[in-house]
Amino acid sequence: MKTLYVDGNTALHRLSPRVKLAGLMLASILLFLTRSPLALGTALALAIYLYAMLPLGFKVSLHRLRPVLWTIAVVALFSFLVQSAEEATVALLRLSVLMLLAASVTATTTVSAFIEVATEAARPLERMGLVNAADIGLAIGLVIRFVPDITGHYQSVRDAHLARGIKLRPLTVVVPLIILTLKSADEVAGAIDARGIRNQKA
Amino acid sequence: MDICFADSTVRFGDRIALHPLTLTLRERRIGIIGLNGSGKTTFARLINGLVKPTSGSVTVNGLDTVTDDKAVLGQAGFIFQNPQNQLILPIVSEDIALGLKGRGLSKAEIEARTQAVLLRFGIGHLGSRRVHELSGGELQLAALASVLVTAPDILIMDEPTNQLDIRNRALVGRTIDGLDEHVIVISHDLDLIADFDRVLLFHEGRLCGDGPPAKMVELYREIAA
Repeated sequence: MKTLYVDGNTALHRLSPRVKLAGLMLASILLFLTRSPLALGTALALAIYLYAMLPLGFKVSLHRLRPVLWTIAVVALFSFLVQSAEEATVALLRLSVLMLLAASVTATTTVSAFIEVATEAARPLERMGLVNAADIGLAIGLVIRFVPDITGHYQSVRDAHLARGIKLRPLTVVVPLIILTLKSADEVAGAIDARGIRNQKA
Repeated sequence: MDICFADSTVRFGDRIALHPLTLTLRERRIGIIGLNGSGKTTFARLINGLVKPTSGSVTVNGLDTVTDDKAVLGQAGFIFQNPQNQLILPIVSEDIALGLKGRGLSKAEIEARTQAVLLRFGIGHLGSRRVHELSGGELQLAALASVLVTAPDILIMDEPTNQLDIRNRALVGRTIDGLDEHVIVISHDLDLIADFDRVLLFHEGRLCGDGPPAKMVELYREIAA
């Protein structure tokens, strides 16, 4: 199991996880309130600066963003084809800023801090009798935990293809990837039960 | 420790995974051996309630695994075959602390207990390490710490030396020897259980041997031949 968290002592590391997540939420709302290329461009420059401050190195920084970058490129291209160049620029800028900010928060916040903040945020819903706050926190923590795991599973499936000289095809990659992921999810769920983690009153 | 199986059976659909079984376990070190698919893991999972008996009952220190399932989980810790998936969070100390959260302990207390259990297994230096960076032996010790931090009375381990080299096997063996808790180990590593107090031998979903290690290993070899 790998982690997206990176050790360090940057200003973002020192900032409270609550503030970081609230800031990320606020930034994502503000980004969708403006269409000004100047404002979005400035936000992008700031987000690049923030992300570049992390002790990751250029290669790793880029490697982490690559899958999301492709998605953003597809969205921008789609906007360009069906709408206009302006729409495509706005989508490209907004999503790039969001990606960089989210990646910066993920790289400087441990999974247990995410769980803690999500649990606290879900407390009002728990008081209304709607959810179990600890379950919400754990679920969010597990989502973050599984992101690098899925990447690892993909690498195993890809290596298995390469070792047998089989061409990578969507179907032969996606099916084993889903099976491997569900299998480890099942084992982790077993461990959560065995360790009595969901039995605790948070 | 007092684990009682009373006519306990486990069925998965039409298949009988464990035939009716009545026995009591009290020894400090108990080994479970048998071929693949013989019912060892089902038997072990019955103890902490991860598998419920289809008929009959299982009690752990007087607690029924069906009606008192949450209390039973607190009494019997379980370490799975793959410690990678046993550890839920990616950083060792973070994962160990997760088991203590929501138990009314302060942050300082959680930190102190986490440190104490790491030191107990001589892995204080691994606290800030990432789980994926650990060796097989270190992973087993981290999994052990993550379970024993909540102080269960009984520890069940499913093939703890699986995929380990000789050095790490010896390390895990020594660690098990030094544990104060009652330990039940499922293993294909017959050296590991050689000095245990009692060994149970399973075959095709039935308990077919119950006695001292040497005798049970001999019987196991006959069955496997």
